[in-house]
Amino acid sequence: MTVENLIFQGLVGLSLAMYLWLVSAGLTLAFGVLGVINFAHGSLYMVGAYLAYTLYGRLGLDFGVAVILSVLTVGLLGAVMERLLFRPMYRLDTAFQLILTFGLVLIFSDLVKLIWGGLFVIPPVPAIFQGAVPVLGRSFPVYNIFVIVAGIVVAAVMGLVLERTWWGKTVRAAAADREMAASLGLNIYRVFVLVFAFAAMLAALGGAFSIPVRVVDPGTGTALIVQAFIITVIGGLGNLRGAFVGSLLVGVLSAYGTLLFPVFELFIIYLLMAAVLLIKPEGLFGR
Amino acid sequence: MRRFSRREFLGGAVVVGATGVLAACAPTQAPTQPGAQAKPLGVDTIKIGAMGALSGAHADYGRQINMGLELAKEEINANGGILGSMVETRMLDEELKPDVGVRNTRQLVQDWGAHFLVGVDSSGVAMAIGPILPELDRVFIFTHAATHRLTEELVYDKKIKHIFRISVPVYQDAIVAAYVFRDKLPQARRFATIGADYEYGRAVWALFREYMKRFRPEAEFVAEAWAPFLTTDFSSHIAAVMAANPDVIVSTPWAGEAVTLLRQAVQLGVFDKIQAWWQAMGGSVDVLEGIKGEVQANAFKGKLWATARYIHNYPDTPENRAFVEKFQKRWARFPNYSAETTYSAVYAIKAAVEKARSLDTSKVIAALEGLSLKTPAGDRYIRPEDHQAVYSVPAGRVVMDPKYPIPIVGADLVILKPEDYYRKPPFEPIKF
Repeated sequence: MTVENLIFQGLVGLSLAMYLWLVSAGLTLAFGVLGVINFAHGSLYMVGAYLAYTLYGRLGLDFGVAVILSVLTVGLLGAVMERLLFRPMYRLDTAFQLILTFGLVLIFSDLVKLIWGGLFVIPPVPAIFQGAVPVLGRSFPVYNIFVIVAGIVVAAVMGLVLERTWWGKTVRAAAADREMAASLGLNIYRVFVLVFAFAAMLAALGGAFSIPVRVVDPGTGTALIVQAFIITVIGGLGNLRGAFVGSLLVGVLSAYGTLLFPVFELFIIYLLMAAVLLIKPEGLFGR
Repeated sequence: MRRFSRREFLGGAVVVGATGVLAACAPTQAPTQPGAQAKPLGVDTIKIGAMGALSGAHADYGRQINMGLELAKEEINANGGILGSMVETRMLDEELKPDVGVRNTRQLVQDWGAHFLVGVDSSGVAMAIGPILPELDRVFIFTHAATHRLTEELVYDKKIKHIFRISVPVYQDAIVAAYVFRDKLPQARRFATIGADYEYGRAVWALFREYMKRFRPEAEFVAEAWAPFLTTDFSSHIAAVMAANPDVIVSTPWAGEAVTLLRQAVQLGVFDKIQAWWQAMGGSVDVLEGIKGEVQANAFKGKLWATARYIHNYPDTPENRAFVEKFQKRWARFPNYSAETTYSAVYAIKAAVEKARSLDTSKVIAALEGLSLKTPAGDRYIRPEDHQAVYSVPAGRVVMDPKYPIPIVGADLVILKPEDYYRKPPFEPIKF
């Protein structure tokens, strides 16, 4: 196994990690601010992907327009979900949230089956992202570079907004102590609905980006949410930096798993999670 | 409220009584009733239950199974049915999950009253259904599931006579591949696989290695990467096997997953490095439609080899031309192999029932054993020993052809006699 091969595999893992990051960012954000564990978060990735598929692949809209429209639609869906389904749940036991979001997973999966069940054509990669660049004597697709850059940009912007802006302060205040924030005159319900919608949009962005190169399936939501949970557990529930680092770890390690231990690549991820839980149960960045 | 025939009632009662042992010998003779002359089978309808993948990346296979099923039904019913009884069908989604397949099978037989069962895409699902068929006392003609173990182990070794398979198994995916690389690529030494991570992919790789080693003792098997169902991204699998510098990649993910895999392989520059890519079921119509852009742009550089369990451009016979024409007229698509195999399975049921003049399972099994049938894919013969239909499908390179709007398996065709590549009983087990 040469060093070049190891680096190249790591690069491939990095692009896998970015899809995971876009999903786990929203999951951890919704948990950090609203305190909800949303099992249906992976399903929002799936819905975003199917919408982008229809808009770009079937209706022939420009890829960028298709991405924006599907992200906005899923954002709206997220806002409606928060307002109608999650808000009455805040006062109740967490178990009710779990039942609700698990039910939503099943509903989304069946809805997608009903609407898109029989269709499957993978649309072409948008012209500007076609082709590959030579990396260490091998070819690395331009589209993967685009996804890596986009994921890092999202992380940087989110970090800046949360740390440096009034909006970020508001969100952090609502996350830290919602009663205190409310008594200081913050409309925390508005913060909740916006944060939830934003989390949904991040997942949809990942889904929409996936459409020219990845498979989407009614089971995609379930498969992704498991990985996103592992990531948030590794990184620390509710911690964005933890979700980013966790995504990188899981994406890159699973790529190495495929290369070095093809028979039990999944095992490595669970091993990592178990190790983190043993040594630092609150997660790498948890408090 | 629909009326139950006596046969269905008896069948139901036996099953409800859970007397599995007795079920196999339950008498299910056609009762004499008014109109028996016109309907010697004693039933108004013969019910054929079907199953396939109907959702997600593999959904087109199930749809094609349904198209083949419906076309055969419509033709048969327009021509007076089977001995006067009309054919009725119902199709369920197997979801590629063994437990769902078993549940569907029970539901089709016990609730709906299916007389016969056809279909099933996944080998894992087929291996789970096989063992419950004697208890249900129904014949199941598998039309796609490809693991050799279904017929070699369950039928030949374990004597589950209710299982039949109309489609060619992994002999096509694995043994034909070994012949192709023996004859067409004498330089190829280093073989790798990107495999579907379940029964099917494992069986193909094991069988391929066995035969390739036999044909070319110096062959090396340098890398493997396994992708389970619901794999959304194959780039790490591709990068991993490319790290071993293979000459040939044997690839077994199928349907929409195959399209994604091939597209990602193009983007990762695989076709600049390798001598050949074997996409076992790349001759499937949904895959050919999905990679049309890449084939037109010569992105595979002529190195993409594929086969299928039937390809619509072979053989050039009146039966096949008529079938493709009817199919296109009815569905505005080319028939995939799962359509042809299911279509032929329904005609095999018709031939067997007409020969047996009965719906009795054991009589139909006897009639199917050794049956010869003219089908679109050519002459099929059902071997009595393992209930495997024997016929031949070519392999070749995937190219555009001015006669067709989609790519076809059409260049450097390798056409083998079935006796050259079908494994024969007694079967030597293949180690996975």
